[in-house]
Amino acid sequence: MADQPIYEARGVSKSYGSVLALRDVDLAVHAGEIVGLVGDNGAGKSTLVKVLSGVHQPDGGAVYLDDVQRTWRSPHEALEAGIETLYQDAGLCPDLTVNANVFLGRERLRPGLLGKLGFLDNKAMAGVAREELERVGINLTGVRRTVNKLSGGQRQAVAIGRAISWARKVIVLDEPTNHLGARQSREVLRVMHRARDRGLGVIFISHTLPHVLEVTDRIVVLRLGRVVTDEPTSSFTPDSLLKAITGLSGPTAA
Amino acid sequence: MATEKGIGMTAATATDSNETRDCQDGEESRGSRITAVLARQDVMLLGVLVLMVVFFTVMNPRFFTTFAFANILQDWAPVMVLAIGETFVIITGGIDLSVGSTLGLSGVACAMVMRSLHHSGADTTTTIVVGVVTALLAGMAVGLVNGLLITRFKLAPFIATLATMGAGAGLTLVLTGGVQIAGGPTEVIWLGNTQYVELLTLPLIVVLVVLAVTWVVLGLTRLGRWTYAIGSNSFASRGAGIGVNAHLIKIYLLSGLLAAVGGLFVYFRLGSGSPTSGQGQELAAIAAAVIGGTSLFGGSGRMSGTVLGALITTSVLSGLILIGVAPNWQQVVIGALIAIAVGVQQLNLRSGKGSGRG
Repeated sequence: MADQPIYEARGVSKSYGSVLALRDVDLAVHAGEIVGLVGDNGAGKSTLVKVLSGVHQPDGGAVYLDDVQRTWRSPHEALEAGIETLYQDAGLCPDLTVNANVFLGRERLRPGLLGKLGFLDNKAMAGVAREELERVGINLTGVRRTVNKLSGGQRQAVAIGRAISWARKVIVLDEPTNHLGARQSREVLRVMHRARDRGLGVIFISHTLPHVLEVTDRIVVLRLGRVVTDEPTSSFTPDSLLKAITGLSGPTAA
Repeated sequence: MATEKGIGMTAATATDSNETRDCQDGEESRGSRITAVLARQDVMLLGVLVLMVVFFTVMNPRFFTTFAFANILQDWAPVMVLAIGETFVIITGGIDLSVGSTLGLSGVACAMVMRSLHHSGADTTTTIVVGVVTALLAGMAVGLVNGLLITRFKLAPFIATLATMGAGAGLTLVLTGGVQIAGGPTEVIWLGNTQYVELLTLPLIVVLVVLAVTWVVLGLTRLGRWTYAIGSNSFASRGAGIGVNAHLIKIYLLSGLLAAVGGLFVYFRLGSGSPTSGQGQELAAIAAAVIGGTSLFGGSGRMSGTVLGALITTSVLSGLILIGVAPNWQQVVIGALIAIAVGVQQLNLRSGKGSGRG
């Protein structure tokens, strides 16, 4: 793990009208590290995700990619810079194939004149989509099936595979194990390990504390818009993590 | 990690055999299974068309003549050209109610420009070219207004195009004072009605070319892919970096442009611009697309279906006239056809496995 974080929020504040959603929040993720971001409902997790992914700009503070301050004017700019976000329930296009979804917005065009006219290179995309999904540990061979023919778990697998295969630096996963069964959740966690092993910085937002304790290297706890704890995962017990989230044992757990 | 198995693949193996089936490039975006289902729907539509032809021929043998077919095809051309635009729009999850009145507006604009140029002694070619360009610009102007109302002012497509439908029809009446605009070059009628090849008039040739181009665009290009993507899940499309608003404006521009082409068809057929032409045509165009299997929820639809849908609606109308049903029943019949087509779609959706929406 490098000492220098790959992606960082420093002193980020954000308010919606009179509601202060984030107050002077610091969060850093290193390459090859999984950081868990936890907190009760309304703690500011979603707002922080939106700041990290370029949906919102912070009112105060800034985000730093490779120690360079960045201002995302749109989610697209963050994507271009290598930061992928899997939003909670954002989903896929159900009428399109797996292949089309993996390449959505980044379609490969055919070489030469046909490509200039916008003709899609479906063959190349189908091949690469399968390879990319396999590379992150998803053996979904039916890339030409439409997504509405897949089970909920398979859909989530495609969504995560899509995000991880495009991410170059950081991936933000907002509740990726929501609505999934125990077995499918385990496999999502496994895919996250793969992403970490490939040197990505992973930010994992979840309500399911056992998952967070199992998969992360470090846990950041948000409460009422503030970071109350930022410690290595090994220093938490299920009990102390819960106490840090609810605030029943003072501001610093562990 | 001891096991390297993928995520949630339990159901995958059962249907993997689909993957071995060969897909044509163009159909691939919708997947082999969907293709199979819709292909069956095309076959069904073709069956309906054949049954109708047989029925009308039995009721009145004059239905099965070259003359009658020529008439059907002439009616088909403007409906088809509107229905092409409507197919794109409906696949994005929208609707364009303004195409009928845009057809009227652009036809009248063309007629007025041609009349004044003709009377001021401009040569025929210039007159026709300027008239055609005027009509196309008028159509695109309406399309642009629709696109901006929907993307910038966040109006629902139904409301935005309802507004331009009314405004367009009103503007046409204001411009014309409610009377027909004749007095353009007479060559126009010759251009619009000559059969260059058996049955093929200029409007038919144009509509076939437009159809070929748009068919390819919808099935094989990124523009087509994004059209399906936006209709399927506009939020995910935006998240994937697709310029959803810019794309929607393009689609409504296309719809307006094609409505103007429909206006030109009518003008070149009759040699005059009628303020009431195009009335109710939006219904025929929507009917063609929907009967052809384009889902009003967006995300799915095929050009082949729209072609058959438009042939069915125009044949029904011609057939009804030939068997002596009063023309005033036309709108009733078209309305009924839409209701039947959407009803069948709903039944299919309900019986189908998880549609992925909701």
